[in-house]
Amino acid sequence: MSDLLELVVSATASGSIYALVALAYLLILRPTSIINFAVGEWAATGAFVGVAAQTTLAWPALDGPYWLAVIAVLVCLGALGWLVEALTVRPLIARGANITSPILALLGVLVIFRESLTMLFGADPLPSPPPFGFKRVAFGLFAGVPQQFLIITVTFVLFAAVWLFFERTVWGRAFEAVALNRRAAALMGINLRRVTTFAFVSGAMVAGLAGLLMSPLTSAHYMMGLPLAIQGFTALVIGGVGRVEGALLGGLVLAFVEQLGARYLPIPSGLTLGFPFVLLILFLFLRPSGLMPPREAR
Amino acid sequence: MRLLRDALIWFAAIAAASALAFWLGGYATDVYRKMLIWVALALSYNFLFGIAGQVAFSHFAFAGVGAYAIVIFAHQLGLPFGLAFILALALSAALAFVVALPSTRLEGFYLALATLAFSQLVLVVISEGGDLTGGTGGIANYRLPHVFDVTISGPWYTVVLVLLVASTLWMLRRLDRSAFGRACRAIRDNAVAAAAMGIDVRRIKVLAFTLTSTLAGLAGIAYAYIDNVINPPVFGLENIFLLLFMIIVGGAGSHIGAIIGAVFLYLAPFVLEPIVGHGFMVVFGVLVVLTILFQPSGLAGLVNRWPARRAT
Repeated sequence: MSDLLELVVSATASGSIYALVALAYLLILRPTSIINFAVGEWAATGAFVGVAAQTTLAWPALDGPYWLAVIAVLVCLGALGWLVEALTVRPLIARGANITSPILALLGVLVIFRESLTMLFGADPLPSPPPFGFKRVAFGLFAGVPQQFLIITVTFVLFAAVWLFFERTVWGRAFEAVALNRRAAALMGINLRRVTTFAFVSGAMVAGLAGLLMSPLTSAHYMMGLPLAIQGFTALVIGGVGRVEGALLGGLVLAFVEQLGARYLPIPSGLTLGFPFVLLILFLFLRPSGLMPPREAR
Repeated sequence: MRLLRDALIWFAAIAAASALAFWLGGYATDVYRKMLIWVALALSYNFLFGIAGQVAFSHFAFAGVGAYAIVIFAHQLGLPFGLAFILALALSAALAFVVALPSTRLEGFYLALATLAFSQLVLVVISEGGDLTGGTGGIANYRLPHVFDVTISGPWYTVVLVLLVASTLWMLRRLDRSAFGRACRAIRDNAVAAAAMGIDVRRIKVLAFTLTSTLAGLAGIAYAYIDNVINPPVFGLENIFLLLFMIIVGGAGSHIGAIIGAVFLYLAPFVLEPIVGHGFMVVFGVLVVLTILFQPSGLAGLVNRWPARRAT
């Protein structure tokens, strides 16, 4: 029983990370229809920026506290997201290029980010200091390392905030309007260019945060991006691309299937690596709208 | 007259590419052979991605299916080589068809994700196949058997690869200029309009996917006998990105572009690595972004600046 409860904590924590990456996809996909595969690398970048800000890696004088790492990640990733949007996506949209053009260009960006990280930080994994140590803590029946509880708390708070943003603010409504109908939204006076920029900046920030949060558990490694990109996307497809809550639900479902399967199913552990792909294929073919179908326009 | 001239050009090109095999030696032969495999894969992937407009990430997975199938059939199970060859090709084709049926219903980039999931599954299966697939270490220590008492070895195997590239190119060019090729381009540019003109969109999409993926399987079969070693990482995601980049940089939709792109990006690391180390992948990424932004028709588009003989 305690085994299962521990698994619940660890699956919820991994699910939260998948959900954050799925949210990063969603923030960009909804208003622009662009699937940005580079979000995985942005998460890896967030992990490395966090390590650099907290350890004496980059600037010996600077050995910053955790809050500084959080700010560094948000500022750096926001700037990088803006830069990528301005340099690659904006000119293509302005030219009226086919939607696959920016998607393919972002695959090029993915490779640029990953190889730059390798060159800057080396190919070995870098340990990332956990802000609250490694000492096990227990909340009632649930026990785990503090970082897991931090991940879960931050993710749920962030999802609540993003949900409120979309439901309650004018900006959020503008986002939704663009997602439902770009042309009509533009005619209603919504600045499409600004919405696209905002989508990439916020998407990069959320992805970076996901990388920063998970790095104490996995270390910062240049190969962490692509698996995250695939898991995040799988979470998004499971939950449904239309709703913010879908990303959270999809991330949790994916993580629970992965971890429960690996723990209790009598198959070789290597084969359990295939679970996310089977789920992705099943949902794409059988239920492309995901568990939470998009709402109709109101 | 035209026919004769074309035949002469083909013959001269094949002879020159084959002669190179006898002139090169050692490490250069290995590089040349792998380059020929890349060119063969780039040609079929260009038809799928550049001409039929399907962004699929399963091309290397099908090469892997072909390579593993021939080695398992011919060497692990000991079937006669001819039979093993036909079975390996048939397995690639059948699997491609099964994947194509549901996948081609998916719109745009969702096809990429479904085929990416499929190719990752293939990797999981061959890595976990136990003794049959050799697990993560792969299979080694087998030799191309005699076919009709003929042993093909040394530069003659390189000639086989040249013929593979030539026949792939010849077939895909024929297809491209047929009604099938025009239907593929029409669907790529506007599927709704193509359907309105009476093109059976589903059928053409499934056919294009199955055919090009089977060609990938064939290239995989040829690859299995280059080093007489196969292992899972070769058929992973890294290489499919590189293949996609070759097509984009070379010029999507152009056969000559696929060849230029494959040769250029395959050989570039040999020049770049001493200068920038592993950073050549950054250079490739930048190259892809710049190509999409400023030269969407790729390197082939630069070549074709002078009077176009044929409208594409």
